[in-house]
Amino acid sequence: MSEAFAVDVDNVVKSFGTLRALDGITLRVRQGEIYGLLGPNGSGKTTLIRAIVGLVAPDSGNVSVLGHRMPDLNILSSVGYMTQAAALYPDLSVEENLRFFAAISGADGNVTEVLKTVELEARRKSVVSTLSGGMRQRCSLACALVHHPRLLLLDEPTVGVDPQLRVQFWEHFRDMAAAGTTILVSSHVMDEAERCQRLGLIRFGKLLGEGSPAEIRAAAGTNNLEEAFLKLSGRASE
Amino acid sequence: MSAHRIAAITRRLLQQFRHDRRTLALLFVAPLVILSLLGYLIRGGASAPGVGIANEDQGPVGATLASALEKSTKIHTVIINPADGETKLKDGSLVAYIVFPPDFSQLVIQQQVIAPEIHLEGSQPGTQAPVLQALQDALTSFAAASQAAVKFQPNVSYLYGGPNLDQLDYFGAAFIGLILFFLVFVVTIVSFLRERSQGTLERLMASPLRRGEIVVGYMIGFTILALVQAVEVLVFSLYVLKVHNQGNVLLIFGFEVLMALSAVNLGIFLSMFARTEFQAVQFIPLVIVPQVLLSGILFPVSTEPTPLQYISDVLPLTYAVNGLRDVMLKGADLTWPALQLDAGVVAGFCLLLIFAGIGTLRRRIA
Repeated sequence: MSEAFAVDVDNVVKSFGTLRALDGITLRVRQGEIYGLLGPNGSGKTTLIRAIVGLVAPDSGNVSVLGHRMPDLNILSSVGYMTQAAALYPDLSVEENLRFFAAISGADGNVTEVLKTVELEARRKSVVSTLSGGMRQRCSLACALVHHPRLLLLDEPTVGVDPQLRVQFWEHFRDMAAAGTTILVSSHVMDEAERCQRLGLIRFGKLLGEGSPAEIRAAAGTNNLEEAFLKLSGRASE
Repeated sequence: MSAHRIAAITRRLLQQFRHDRRTLALLFVAPLVILSLLGYLIRGGASAPGVGIANEDQGPVGATLASALEKSTKIHTVIINPADGETKLKDGSLVAYIVFPPDFSQLVIQQQVIAPEIHLEGSQPGTQAPVLQALQDALTSFAAASQAAVKFQPNVSYLYGGPNLDQLDYFGAAFIGLILFFLVFVVTIVSFLRERSQGTLERLMASPLRRGEIVVGYMIGFTILALVQAVEVLVFSLYVLKVHNQGNVLLIFGFEVLMALSAVNLGIFLSMFARTEFQAVQFIPLVIVPQVLLSGILFPVSTEPTPLQYISDVLPLTYAVNGLRDVMLKGADLTWPALQLDAGVVAGFCLLLIFAGIGTLRRRIA
């Protein structure tokens, strides 16, 4: 399989009981781009990301990551995954958490460099349970970055993050994308969507529209992304 | 104090239980299960321990006593050849045998002394009392019938241990293993569930880690902790409490290693059936208490009602406790077939649980 796409989701269906979380979704993320997955709560964003990383087995359809058909444990050493809630070991220090996640991905991990990126150097010896919510979120991001992944999957990374920190996060994302890392980020915050190179609008487990923020706005005939999104979702539910 | 606010707290608590049916069921079902088990264990027509009788008496008294013993419900008597007695004690088919020597009647008539030989197995708590009681009953009825004032001077010998063993020696041997098993199980199941509730398990599963690597990593980590604990428990039991030990300390330690490994893997396996740490703790009355009752720690398996013996025979703790007692009270080593069986079964359970733990790990994520 070619490695033209960092993520290649092809007609994936996944049901939980009667709920169709993913309803034949097809989506391709190019190498080195920031792709924003946009949709309301319960639209299937998290399930899609979990399917990409191999935590959810699709009922039908295929997922490939960096040219490898999933599930494939080996390719996961090139993938960074940040879950919605800061998934950390609360009784370990920041540094111990980072070293652990680096080690299980088979990397030495440049802990100091990553700590600098998320501005947690001063707290490297602090036990995670003593950190504030924002610091935990930064530590969680650091854990997803520590093994220098080629693909970064971020599930609503800025939920509960103050505006100033959110700006910082997006600066890191841009720097990383510039350095060649592919980023797939889910969000329901529209001003974040503006910062993505391409957007996918997802609702009811389907991709409703795809394109750059400008293209999306044009397709909906409005110059407000939020309105565009509501319009496109409205069409889908009719 | 506001009655209204207090009522709010009380109401909320009861509402929570209404939503957690499982806890509710446990609260009302577990006591009945445990008490029924205990009741059945003690009153459910417990099997009487097997006692061998060898009557070599040339006079009539031995036969009289032997037939009185035969009628006793406290023991189950078997006529044996005195030469086979020790073998039968060793293989566990008898807990004691009584010999009436050739001059038994003569001593009774000439000196008013009743002097049977009582050979006790000596390593199982609670099996000696029925033997001595049955003998006492037989003597009392004999004395009443013959209206003779006789003195009871039995010659008691022990195959293992001896009169110096007390309850602590019996229970200590078992508890060394039980404490370790119990604590390691609880720590493992709670840590594993925390891994899930704090979301880190999801991260682990999204990394190149293999399921087997997670289970083996957990196993080694907790086993190291368990072994440090095992050394502490062992040193305290042997040197501070002075629990009797006749065997090789390394063998005791070996059993503890196997029990720690089983406990870790049982914890990982069962964590799949609990959603919260709270529910995990509920496995204690379900998993641990019946094992404690049925593994021969308190009541020898051979004296349990027969249906319960079948259950005891499939519990890993039964074999572990048996092995530890064999080593500490009997001085068993690995050349003993009984100990090979115990060690083999415990090791087998351990392997089974490792695979069960690995096999169920994937499903708990999705």
